[in-house]
Amino acid sequence: MTLSRNLQSCNNYNFISKSITFAFTLLVTSFAAPLLAVDFNSITNADKSENIKLSQQQVDSLKSKKLTAALVWHGSSAWVNAVSQGAKETFSRFGIKVVAVTDAQFDPAKQVADLENISVLNPDIILSLSVDSTSTKNSYRNAISNGAKLVLLSNPIEGFIHHQDYVGIVTDDMFGMGKAAAQLTMEALKQSGKLGIIYHDAKYFITNNRDHAFRQALKSAPNIEIIIEKGFVKESETSNIAAAMVLQNPEIEAIYVSWDSAAEGVIEALRSLDRPDIKVITHDLGVNNLLDMATNRNLYGTIADRPYDIGATMAKLGAAAILGQRAAPVTIVPFDKVTKTNITSAWQQAFKKPLPKLLTQALQQ
Amino acid sequence: MNAQMLSLNQLKQIALHREAFIYYIFFFVLFFFAIVLHDTAFLTFSNFMNIVKQTAPLTIMAVGLTFALAVGHIDLSIGSVVALSALVGALLLQHTGIPLAVLGALLVGVTVGLINGLLIERLQVSSLLITLGTMGIITGIARQLTNLESVPIINQDFTFLFGSGKVLGMPILLLWTLVIGGCAYIILKKLAAGRHLLAVGGNPVAARAMGIKVTRIRLYALIASSTAAALAGLLYAGRLHGARYTLGEADLLTVIAAVAIGGTSLFGGRACIVGAILGTWLMGIINNGLILSGFSTNEQMIARGVILVIAVAIGVKEIRNG
Amino acid sequence: MVRSSLDQVALELSSIKKSFGGVHALQDVTFTINKGEVVGLLGDNGAGKSTLVKCISGVYAPDSGEIKVNGKAVVIRSPEDARAAGIETVFQDLAMIPEFNIVQNLFLNREIKHKNPILRWLGWLDTKAMTKRARKALNRLNTRIPSYNEQIHNLSGGQRQAIAIARAVNWGADIVIMDEPTAALGVEQSAQVNDLIKVISSQGVAVLLISHNMQHVVETCDRAVVLYQGSSVADVAVAEVTKEDLVGLITGAKKIAA
Repeated sequence: MTLSRNLQSCNNYNFISKSITFAFTLLVTSFAAPLLAVDFNSITNADKSENIKLSQQQVDSLKSKKLTAALVWHGSSAWVNAVSQGAKETFSRFGIKVVAVTDAQFDPAKQVADLENISVLNPDIILSLSVDSTSTKNSYRNAISNGAKLVLLSNPIEGFIHHQDYVGIVTDDMFGMGKAAAQLTMEALKQSGKLGIIYHDAKYFITNNRDHAFRQALKSAPNIEIIIEKGFVKESETSNIAAAMVLQNPEIEAIYVSWDSAAEGVIEALRSLDRPDIKVITHDLGVNNLLDMATNRNLYGTIADRPYDIGATMAKLGAAAILGQRAAPVTIVPFDKVTKTNITSAWQQAFKKPLPKLLTQALQQ
Repeated sequence: MNAQMLSLNQLKQIALHREAFIYYIFFFVLFFFAIVLHDTAFLTFSNFMNIVKQTAPLTIMAVGLTFALAVGHIDLSIGSVVALSALVGALLLQHTGIPLAVLGALLVGVTVGLINGLLIERLQVSSLLITLGTMGIITGIARQLTNLESVPIINQDFTFLFGSGKVLGMPILLLWTLVIGGCAYIILKKLAAGRHLLAVGGNPVAARAMGIKVTRIRLYALIASSTAAALAGLLYAGRLHGARYTLGEADLLTVIAAVAIGGTSLFGGRACIVGAILGTWLMGIINNGLILSGFSTNEQMIARGVILVIAVAIGVKEIRNG
Repeated sequence: MVRSSLDQVALELSSIKKSFGGVHALQDVTFTINKGEVVGLLGDNGAGKSTLVKCISGVYAPDSGEIKVNGKAVVIRSPEDARAAGIETVFQDLAMIPEFNIVQNLFLNREIKHKNPILRWLGWLDTKAMTKRARKALNRLNTRIPSYNEQIHNLSGGQRQAIAIARAVNWGADIVIMDEPTAALGVEQSAQVNDLIKVISSQGVAVLLISHNMQHVVETCDRAVVLYQGSSVADVAVAEVTKEDLVGLITGAKKIAA
């Protein structure tokens, strides 16, 4: 698994297409190393991010240590920026200086070099998402050899032992997100109706789990009938898939699609077919689709995670580890169910930034 | 008096020489970071070893590309050869030993160079277009070969030899750089083969008139270029304990820039191996220095561009004043 | 003049023919050059001069006809064949590598290799030996050169011409073909080149000189061969004809039995 982080990035086509390409490679990684994924059990047993707190005494003690931290990311996107922002602001409250931020551009070779480069700075804490567990492992090992505390985002590293090699893994609750998407669907259809599913047809841990949890949760609504399911591999395919789906099944009332930028194609198809009555439910926040939602068009609701909180949680775990506190193997960060009524607050929750002007204006109309 | 004038003149010649350019830039950037980052670990032995290790595959690619440029060809396929050779090497390692795997990987380079060369000579089309085409083909093959899967390498002898090993306290990647760079330097500066290579790049008509086998020399140069890229692929695979179709993808432009800044003409006839190596190290130093300075990714990109432009400007000025 | 070389024939061409598609560039070219003799090859544009030069220097293979060097028939299919037969060509563009220095150009593709057999096998260059021989070769031609490390593109046209000639002679050529050696030169430098031609012919080298410059031909050549529409139409001793005669022969206004 990995990197569905980038799937959640807003509105950056290039980035998303690259991330999707990358997703396919993960397919393989997950075949090769099935033990690597954060599994259902570890998520259900995971600690919650709201439980991670540091006392004033601990903060004071951290401040006196003059610590440094490095953020070693897999790529860049608005989503990653929000994670960095959360981490930086949290660190600064503890008097910890962020000395380096790197972007591997999804290239393991670049990430290995990045790790080597930041190692000479001897950071006390490293927050990172590994692009490729096998090839970057040695460099992580080297980077922590001087005692740096490593906090991971989403991806475990093969052979690394909890507590000994890394502090813990922070991830979002993909099962909860799938379930919440099902609840939004039930709301949209008022417990009964005809649904189409456009799912991510590639072996990709995060999207697969969300889609799976979605289907499971829907079973509790017997009156919602899944009349058609179609898979997609590339985001660019969803427009044609949605159009075909609706033409074959004009009675369709709602469509679930795996994530936001894939949903853009679906919404585009629905617009060109002039079917504003069909509701769309998806994951993640993207400006284009939120505009659609704000103007009461097709998008009914979406499930958004909280990148800022992910960064903040990672920072807290790293700082607490310095003070000898032990973290759970996995810590999950909550998500939000987003519909038209709470766009503004959900956006702020996720990014800790004001809503883009365009969206504010749309909401005011 | 006369002798003095001459030596002064010669000194001026040396300073004016295009190859001197890289030294100015290199030491300017080094000096710049040494001052700005004086309170970090920038100026430490282990940091410089890091840079050398990181840039080893790029350096080998740059040395190979210098051969192609020397005869007046550009080779855009080197990035894709890195990926394919690494994948072929990693796949072969699952079934055979190191010698065959290495041979197989290098053979990828030889074959691609041969195909590039034959197509260019037969069709009389510019190397830019031909290698752009083969780049696409090889990238496609590399992606197809393992269905975008990455191939792990567990053979520790291999990762020692091509990645993490040390010989007499020296990182093996530095050794590779020095050996390949040294061989290339000798070929270009000391051997008849290098003379002919540069003659073909400098004036192919004259070279042909003097009986040099122009076509064959060009073919050799392209084979050298892609075989070096294949070796770079092995170094990546050794360093990363595995191969992946994305290897080398982002390196092409960096390598071309490094070679050009190092004093090799992009149009043939002038080649500088030391410059190519210093050029890639320069890129590594800039990259490393910017990360150590704590900039965000976007700021790093901007700063990298600014530093390159300033360094080039200063180098040019120094040479003019020379 | 210098016809004293006992009239030993260095180069003999008989009935050389060459056509490109339907165009008969050379129809019937026959003449000889003796050792130590300077022969001018004259003709209007398109008369076949450069095609003939290319046939002798191995760039083109003639369709028919015979080339004899020192009395022996030779087959010339490539520049290497020509060189092996003892024919060197000084091309109009001089065939120099501008970025190379004098020594490097003089020894291009005939480098002196290191004495050590292993290094020799590798093709290791013996720069010292080459510099030494370069100095000798240029001294032989009474040419003064500022520095042997000078790149060719920093030299004057006359100096480049001298180096090109030195390169030809240095390889022990019996026959040197010069294609418009003074075309791009000033008066003084042309005179220097003329001197050079006299020096090498006095050393027994047969010279075939292609030139437009009638004055130049009259000053340096012993004989003149005139090509007209692909055939050799005249072979005259320069001392016995006037410039006007030559012009007449070139334009086809005048005819002499060859």
